[in-house]
Amino acid sequence: MNEIMARTLSFGVSGVNGYPVHVEVFGINGIPGMEIIGLPDASVRESRDRVNAAIINSGKEMQPKRITINLAPADTKKEGPSFDLPIAIGVMIATKEIIPDPDLQTDQIALFGELSLDGHIQPIAGALPMVISAKENGIRDVILPDKNAKEVACIEEMNIMPVSHLREVINYFEGKDTIKKQKQISYESLKNEIIVGTDMSQIKGQKAARRALEVAAAGGHNMLMIGVPGSGKTMLARCLPGILPPMSFEEALETTRIHSICGKLPPNSGLMVIRPFVAPHHNASVSSLIGGGQEAKPGEVSVAHNGVLFLDELPEFSRSALEALRQPLEDGIVTVSRVRKQAIYQSSFMLIAAMNPCPCGFYGSTKRICRCTPQETRRYLERISGPLLDRIDLQIEVDSVPVQEINTDSPAESSAMVAARVYAARMIQLERYRGTGKHCNAQLSNAEVKKYCTTNSEASFLLDTAVESMHLSMRAYYRILKVARTIADLDCSEIINSAHIAEAIQYRELDQKYWR
Amino acid sequence: MKTDAAGYVYHAWLASATLQPQIISNLLKEYRIPENIWRAVVSGNVLKNLITPAGFNTLKRNASDEWIEKMKQLLVHHDIRAFTMMDEIYPSSLQQMQAPPAILFYQGDLQCLERKNLAMVGSRAASYDGQKASGRIARDLSRKGIGIISGMAGGIDSASHSGCIEGGSPTIAVTGCGLDIVYPSINIRLRDNILEHGGLLISEYAPGEKPVGWHFPFRNRIITGLAKALIVIEAKIRSGTMTSVQHALDQGKDIFVYPGDPASPFFEGNHLLLREGAQYFTTAMDILEDLGWLDNPEIIGQNSVCSGRAIKPSTPEEETVLSALSPGKLSFEQIAERCDLAPATLLSTLTMLQIKGAIEALPGKLYQINDSKS
Repeated sequence: MNEIMARTLSFGVSGVNGYPVHVEVFGINGIPGMEIIGLPDASVRESRDRVNAAIINSGKEMQPKRITINLAPADTKKEGPSFDLPIAIGVMIATKEIIPDPDLQTDQIALFGELSLDGHIQPIAGALPMVISAKENGIRDVILPDKNAKEVACIEEMNIMPVSHLREVINYFEGKDTIKKQKQISYESLKNEIIVGTDMSQIKGQKAARRALEVAAAGGHNMLMIGVPGSGKTMLARCLPGILPPMSFEEALETTRIHSICGKLPPNSGLMVIRPFVAPHHNASVSSLIGGGQEAKPGEVSVAHNGVLFLDELPEFSRSALEALRQPLEDGIVTVSRVRKQAIYQSSFMLIAAMNPCPCGFYGSTKRICRCTPQETRRYLERISGPLLDRIDLQIEVDSVPVQEINTDSPAESSAMVAARVYAARMIQLERYRGTGKHCNAQLSNAEVKKYCTTNSEASFLLDTAVESMHLSMRAYYRILKVARTIADLDCSEIINSAHIAEAIQYRELDQKYWR
Repeated sequence: MKTDAAGYVYHAWLASATLQPQIISNLLKEYRIPENIWRAVVSGNVLKNLITPAGFNTLKRNASDEWIEKMKQLLVHHDIRAFTMMDEIYPSSLQQMQAPPAILFYQGDLQCLERKNLAMVGSRAASYDGQKASGRIARDLSRKGIGIISGMAGGIDSASHSGCIEGGSPTIAVTGCGLDIVYPSINIRLRDNILEHGGLLISEYAPGEKPVGWHFPFRNRIITGLAKALIVIEAKIRSGTMTSVQHALDQGKDIFVYPGDPASPFFEGNHLLLREGAQYFTTAMDILEDLGWLDNPEIIGQNSVCSGRAIKPSTPEEETVLSALSPGKLSFEQIAERCDLAPATLLSTLTMLQIKGAIEALPGKLYQINDSKS
């Protein structure tokens, strides 16, 4: 009998979900060689050369056999280098280079990792969904690259074994050595280490915009900022993740999963605790924003899931890219359909957009003269379609007066102080919408606005007067009520009063000044 | 009873060659009416010393039945009429100027020319302040029965016409292209508005004539020529507005210059003119006084000129904000600094004042006290 056979276990990723992949190794005498079947892509097929070198560099030998490796299920396309490790172990078991410890069930240990030629194990993309899938399939033991260990450390009841070299895995299978288990890290303990990139206290001046940002965060409202170049729009937007309420464990898992399959997690990072801040450049294609490619990969809107999508220079984005944002803004998911694959990705994000008031950027500036003709300015503004604007509750103008001209003695509030108020307002909303499937004011439909946004008589009189005297549209009417609801929540007031309405009207100033 | 618009087709034909006004007027003096010139050109008997060979050729080329038929349709469709310097209606003020237009096309009510009219001009790419000022002054003058003449371009011109319409007097627009064309096209609504409110559109260019660059400074002489005086709202030092000033000086008209913000480059020309001795004014009343038109009857049913009804603040916050704003434009940040109010409170106070019409919001998150209360 010259045939040899072995079986190991690994996982692949399809969409945001992992699925088990059985690695079968079959060897026979003949012209020496290695063939990988089961719809491998180029990176999987190249695995044989990495495996070859890594085995030799780990002090084992490569037997001159004709080896066939099947990645089952055979009808799913496999991609990525994460199958290197299970293939290497499978080959060594089949060729009797490894005599496994009889106590080990070798096909019940999930293996993933990319090999370098010298036998070191490199981090991979998608570790989190793979481990989640392993748990769902009743697998407890997982051997993975040490740089991916923290990412999956929050998953309970798993035996995570991080490794850095193929030799450690060989020793483990031979029963010569054990691998030190990764300690479980609870999500709560991660939250304590939050370091936010930009703090509100770094922003000087901009009192109105700060307040608008707070309202946006408190109600989950999308926001458009308009202002001259250098007025601090980007910096304001960067503060938002720091004042939004912290992600729940489920949210963190969802977001980390997407970042994991995109390979966007930095090595050695755990579950994401800070909401993502994604700022694609304005030449981004529809596919890069929404998701796509042959394998229907997630796009930027999904990377921003549970976080902030910041579109700077909004009118410079292609019209098709902006229109494609409508589904995720409305439904919180995107469907990416390609010939080979279809995937649904979650993409519930807060949209923060920024733009200049005109093509040259200085319309309304006190320092520079705008050189645009009224037609040019109008065309520039018209690049943003009504349906998209419709989904943006707050439209604010950013103060154009340079900070140097303002005597700021009092230090600005820190993100933590703002975050506390935002959190309280969010709690009120969660309580109010319990059982309705909504969790913040931004999600209210017009009918729900009528139901939940109760105003006193003075406030409704004010709103009617304002709509008339400021020529506001019906669309603006509902937005104002919705935003006033959030302002009232920040004020811990159940009834919306006239001060709340009056403030909310200020967040529609573009309707009044630009899109008249 | 006026003749049908199609009857002016020979006027259009004569103007279509864009000959120098002097040549056309010589032809008219010889032949009295355009139709006679047409006959002379068609038969080839026109006096050669009155017209250049090139001009003759253009006229000859256009003298086809097809061309005439097309022009008739244009005239009737847009209801464009015309008169020449030989007609009695021709304004005497134009006769006295250099290069008076020989033929003028018009739409609307020619009676407007009999009224007291003032020309108001300024930059097309105008500042917000300039547009506000021109609208306000035009409206106040209009309420006193003074018509405004301008060029129906963007910026100050548009604001002046609109202000005049608001005040109740008819306004006159002198355009730089054929009257069948609206330039800039965005002003199509303004054009309709001018005609609906009994105004007049006037042009020395035949229907179909495109808005070519050199037409505009040239037509400026008609704007100033028709007016009793020229009001300059906003002028850069090198601008079309300055050519209007030159025309007005040549024609011996008074020039009133609005003193804009000295720091703003939009008003550089204004300050140059004021230094050179132009008349200074800030309100419509100043102009009326200087022209001795103070006792002009007001248009009935309108508020009196400059009738700012004071708006009383109703809360202490409103009072602080209003007093902080009294020196002029301030940004939100600056108001917040001066009033020491929380952003949320200040935002709602500003809305209240805006609704009352006490203040207005400007692009750039700036606010100012509303000076054009009506």
